[in-house]
Amino acid sequence: MKEFWAILKNELIKTVKRPRSFIGFGVVIFICFVLQAALYNDGKEMLSLITNQIENSISINGTVLNGNLICYILLQTLIIQMPLLVALVTGDLISGETSSGTIRFLLSRPAGRTKIVLAKWIAGLFYTLLLLILLGVIALYGSRLIFGDGDMLCVNSTGATIIRNADVNWRFMYSFFIAFLSLSVVATLALFLSTIMDNSITPIVSTMAIIIIFTIMGMFDLPSLDVIRPFLFTSHMISWKDMFENPVPVQDIINSCIILFAHIVILLGASIYIFERKDITN
Amino acid sequence: MRYFLLISFLLFGIQAQATDAKKLIAAVNKKMKAINDYQATVGMKFDLPGIKINEMKGKVYFKRPDKFRIRAKGIFFLPKDNPLRNVTSLLEDTKSYTAVISGYETIGGKRCAVVNIIPLNTELELIVGKFWISLNDPLIYKTEITTKKNGTIRSRNIFAKNSKNPLPIKVILQIEMKAFKVPKLLAADIKKKSTKGTSNEKKTGEIYLTFSDYKLNRKIPNSVFTAK
Repeated sequence: MKEFWAILKNELIKTVKRPRSFIGFGVVIFICFVLQAALYNDGKEMLSLITNQIENSISINGTVLNGNLICYILLQTLIIQMPLLVALVTGDLISGETSSGTIRFLLSRPAGRTKIVLAKWIAGLFYTLLLLILLGVIALYGSRLIFGDGDMLCVNSTGATIIRNADVNWRFMYSFFIAFLSLSVVATLALFLSTIMDNSITPIVSTMAIIIIFTIMGMFDLPSLDVIRPFLFTSHMISWKDMFENPVPVQDIINSCIILFAHIVILLGASIYIFERKDITN
Repeated sequence: MRYFLLISFLLFGIQAQATDAKKLIAAVNKKMKAINDYQATVGMKFDLPGIKINEMKGKVYFKRPDKFRIRAKGIFFLPKDNPLRNVTSLLEDTKSYTAVISGYETIGGKRCAVVNIIPLNTELELIVGKFWISLNDPLIYKTEITTKKNGTIRSRNIFAKNSKNPLPIKVILQIEMKAFKVPKLLAADIKKKSTKGTSNEKKTGEIYLTFSDYKLNRKIPNSVFTAK
């Protein structure tokens, strides 16, 4: 166990100190600030594109463009970028070591291969968590500082839900937890591909390719895809948005969390299985 | 001679109905003129197509002729042509319209005359206004206002029994509106299946306002209606 903690500590330091980790943090900060500045200037016009369909007959009273809504928009926008940033770091956790040859040094340590995979996986999740915390602080608290807080207008394909300001914090807390679970699937998928491939870039690109393909499959209402759609993890990655419905569809969220968790268990199990039997040839 | 008598009878009938309508409106205006301003606590409940929103409370302010505001913490919806703001000023401008009684109906157990108001100036936003005015007490129990831009807005007023003031304790506003709908791709809602129907379908939305704790003629400053 002592050896495991030593590997884990080493992996955590390596993960956080890598230049590409800072690229992830930098991208999150940059996108948040750019979007916040853009929405500060043009937010009302952008919002009117959505609300003008009802504003012919009714007027919307109260501050709609507030920090809570901006955070929601940021989360929705970053749902495309976040998996890429996660895969960028977790996609070469093992393949990077394989391609550079440092994997031999790592395997010479007394800890077993399973512990090495687990340590790398936890390090990947830690990075994902740091990324989400950074996003949460800038998107939620930063936006509230700039735009103030208030009731939240949440828009989805079936209509709009107004969430009262007093109800917003706990919903965001749970939605960040669901987002973490979703991104953990991406991190585990990238790790899994990293155990199969020996190249540093291919697992990252493959992870994104899978996400894009699954997202497109989930987006179109084709009856032939109805059978597999509920099992695509990308269909459940946006379950965090369910937290902003009224009433909260608890059973749907639990189902999504179970499917996401099952993906993590299967992919991690497969990663361990493959890595245990992997021949290190280079 | 027969035609002359028939036309005279019809004209006399219309004239009599117009006089009755004007009398009723004059009685309503007289009662409303006693109220220069009011404030009250308002409870709001919404049933709008495509919009989920919880009940909320606020304060309502009105000042003659047409200053109206609801102050509440948070987001809420009101009709664009709010009858609670417009009706008083609309009815008091008696030179701008012609009024006739088009029939009689019972609303909430009260026998009401249905008074139609047609603006004399066709360039005005108002197309037609219908007011159900009680024959026993000069109170408006129901309104139906049709404007060029915002369609028809109906309101149903409920008054407290034996109340001395002519202000309702409950108002139900009915608005013709399009259902709020955002395309699935724009809403990034890949989990849900698309639903049939378009946002252009006209539906009816309802807003329930419950008033309590009325304070009349307290000289509400204009700043209440303009301050953020």
